[in-house]
Amino acid sequence: MAATASRSEAVKKLQRREAWRRRIPLLPALLFTIVVTQVPFLFSLWYSLTEWKIVPPEPRQFVGVDNYVDLFDSRFFREAVWTSILMTVFAVLLSVILGTLIALLLDRKFFGQGFVRTLLITPFLIMPVVAGLVWKNQMYSATFGVFNWVIEGLGFDRIEFVSRWPLWSIVIVLVWQWTPFMMLIILAGLQGQSASVLEAARVDGASPRATFFQITLPHLRPYLELGVLLGSIYLIQVFDHVAVITGGGPGSTNVPYFVFQRSIGGGWQFGLASAYSIVVVVASIIIATFGLRVLSGLLEGEDPA
Amino acid sequence: MAEVRYENASRIYPGSEIPAVNELNLDIDDGELLVLVGPSGSGKSTALRMLAGLEFVDQGSVYIGENDVTLSPPQDRDIAMVFQNYALYPSMTVAANMGFALKQQKVPKAERMERVREAARILDLEEYLDRKPKNLSGGQRQRVAMGRAIVRKPQVFLMDEPLSNLDAKLRVQTRTELADLQARLGVTTVYVTHDQVEAMTMGHRVAVLKDGVLQQADRPRTLYSKPVNRFVAGFIGSPAMNLIDTDVTSEGVAIGTLGLTLDPSVSSALTAQDDREVTVGVRPEHLKLSTAGLPGEVTVVEELGSESFVHVTVEHRGEPLVLVVRDAGETTTTRGDIVHVDVAGPTHVFENGGARLGE
Amino acid sequence: MSGGAAAGGVVGKGGPKSFLLGVLAWVVGLVFFFPVFWMVVNGFKTEEEAAADPSLIFDPTMEQYDEVTAETTGLLGFGEAFSNSLWAVAISTFFVMLMAVPAAYALSIRPVAKWRDVLFFFISTKFLPIVAAILPLWIIARDLDLLNTRLLLIVLYTAMNLPLAIWMLRSFFSEVPRELIEAAQIDGASIRGQITSVILPIVAPGLAATALLCVIFAWNEYFLAVQLNNAGGETVPIWVTGNVSTRGNFLAKLSAASTLATLPVVLAGWIAQKRMIRGLAMGAIK
Repeated sequence: MAATASRSEAVKKLQRREAWRRRIPLLPALLFTIVVTQVPFLFSLWYSLTEWKIVPPEPRQFVGVDNYVDLFDSRFFREAVWTSILMTVFAVLLSVILGTLIALLLDRKFFGQGFVRTLLITPFLIMPVVAGLVWKNQMYSATFGVFNWVIEGLGFDRIEFVSRWPLWSIVIVLVWQWTPFMMLIILAGLQGQSASVLEAARVDGASPRATFFQITLPHLRPYLELGVLLGSIYLIQVFDHVAVITGGGPGSTNVPYFVFQRSIGGGWQFGLASAYSIVVVVASIIIATFGLRVLSGLLEGEDPA
Repeated sequence: MAEVRYENASRIYPGSEIPAVNELNLDIDDGELLVLVGPSGSGKSTALRMLAGLEFVDQGSVYIGENDVTLSPPQDRDIAMVFQNYALYPSMTVAANMGFALKQQKVPKAERMERVREAARILDLEEYLDRKPKNLSGGQRQRVAMGRAIVRKPQVFLMDEPLSNLDAKLRVQTRTELADLQARLGVTTVYVTHDQVEAMTMGHRVAVLKDGVLQQADRPRTLYSKPVNRFVAGFIGSPAMNLIDTDVTSEGVAIGTLGLTLDPSVSSALTAQDDREVTVGVRPEHLKLSTAGLPGEVTVVEELGSESFVHVTVEHRGEPLVLVVRDAGETTTTRGDIVHVDVAGPTHVFENGGARLGE
Repeated sequence: MSGGAAAGGVVGKGGPKSFLLGVLAWVVGLVFFFPVFWMVVNGFKTEEEAAADPSLIFDPTMEQYDEVTAETTGLLGFGEAFSNSLWAVAISTFFVMLMAVPAAYALSIRPVAKWRDVLFFFISTKFLPIVAAILPLWIIARDLDLLNTRLLLIVLYTAMNLPLAIWMLRSFFSEVPRELIEAAQIDGASIRGQITSVILPIVAPGLAATALLCVIFAWNEYFLAVQLNNAGGETVPIWVTGNVSTRGNFLAKLSAASTLATLPVVLAGWIAQKRMIRGLAMGAIK
């Protein structure tokens, strides 16, 4: 009896020590992340309940949920939300589709394969600010742009792309930059496909088309999901491209840029801007829940001891 | 070097009701090579990993020598393990692989090198010491894994299917070398395999597990001639023992029309109980093709050169039943022949629950 | 180019279809690369040439490079921006790896009890828009006198890249055969010994890919740099935008500056592209 008791005590002590031994390596990253990402969030929550303009400095006043009431009344905020949704959805979908097609094109032997792949990944490596400036001034521009040179050469009138289609001007640059990223992920997926399964399909007499839709595509599914997930995480936060290409022109102000405009970008209404960002966070959490469900799909069945 | 003892040791995986290893009691002598054998899911690897400290012991204890190591981490157990896929460190040379454990023990470099070279000499690995594992053949990798274990001079060797990644011919050859090496070094060894031939040829004693429960631990010969239950009888021996369910009548037991002469200890056990159905076991070499006996049709003949195994379909309890009979290597029997099968050796009888009847 | 495409038919499986697909791949590749090509070309033109109708026939000049790298008092210089960027990127990436390696170990090889929840927490911080944090960060940084310092960017870039690094490294760690870790345990290696002698050499390609991605994102980061650092410790992206002027032609100068700004990361990415493919997806999906 006594022996059993001392054993169960020893086991408990051991398990506690083991649990801590497992936790310790995690702690620096966890604490750092909590301090840098969660603490500001709590501050935001507090600011959002106040009326607070710091340029020109005014005393902070507690106003409860007034800011939230205001922002839901704001047509501009609703427009910014809508712009964000359009921008993210179009950019993610187009870059995933294009990235998949290009990956399929690259996943076969042809002369200069490695070189073409190198050309294709380059846009992803380009600094977003540079990408925006190059496209705006050297592609879209009515005066200097290559596009308009071609259009004029074909006998049409020059077009001010950016002011005519502000949202699409941004989406195209985003797609240009993120297609290579999607392509890399899909390419890795294609290369991870077992050759014997494909051979079996061919022996079974499946057409290339059937092979693609019934074997390759299901195999690529987790890779596509990963691409959509990572793409969404980064694309919903797009700021640089908006700032550089349209500077928040009509129809292209997404939520990040909107919050910036109302606060450090010149509005200096920190209370109201904080309320905006809290709403964005809540919305992001809702979207993230879906995203994380995708993620848990990716982690399914994997359970290291 | 030390003896090893499992005392009521159980492992219950979290989220599972059934123990993977259930109250295992096993004593392994100093210097003994004990083989744990069983089908997949029998708990043999789990039992080994409990001894290694890689698997938690939920109940009971495990001893190495005098020490209760139940709760010790693997680092503190003074054991060496050979893994099925060898688990060689891919970034290190053969010498570094073999010396890694000594380096962790802070053994001075000169002594380390000396011991690595000695082990390499034993295993014929001297010329490969500077190679990386990926530049070795399967057999060489297996020897490096062995070398990594013997360099340490541990209390116990643990081997988890160390030969199963070798091709058939090399496996047989290495099997003998390994048994010889173990005998020379005299280190207590626990060896896990699913291959009963490997178990029988290598083990000083063999412990058969099924569903986490130890069935029988005995010398190979005893295991073969006196299996304690139906499972062990069927698992040990290749081709497997013929196992036939049959009714007990006033005349005893029979296969089809062939009455069996039973050992007195069996017949007395039979009358002593009410059970009307038993399982009769006869090894293929204890059946013969003869002019008299149970008639049947030959369906398959497996010729192995030195011997052949004839599958004969006979009638038993009104249904067809296949008996495997050993015959001479140069048999003239072919498929479709009508032959007679007779008993030419000991038989085994197991009661309905599987336990052996009689001696 | 056309010669290359023609050879594609020979190397490939043959047949006109295969040949055409090879040609198509080349066309797509060149289309995607064109804006970059054009940027580089314009950097070697004079402002007049760059503003004129697009042409590939011109006298290459280094004039713009001389001008953008020249130091002007009162303006952000090229050297200063590069050294600021270099510091922020190198140190933040170092700290990211320093924290991500043990964290990834604790989420894969010897996982904490709720490793899934912890991993989700890390990833979920990437879903939080940076704009939501920028206001309090601005206030906190102002109160701590960190506005316009390199230190602030280092801290923020570390936080920005840490979740991605943990996510990728965890996947790489999960691919390390379990037996290897067990062998190291039995051989008596401590946790640190297991990581440094056994795990890290195996995951080195993944480590490189992860670090490279962190470098790319940190080097290219503009939002935080411009919001919190617009008067000291400015980085390369800020320097690039400084070359956009409202009067006169600036296209050639901007192109030269852009080329300089993107060159380090593009070269690194080209060299490490195969590892990136492995790192991005093969590691990310187990």
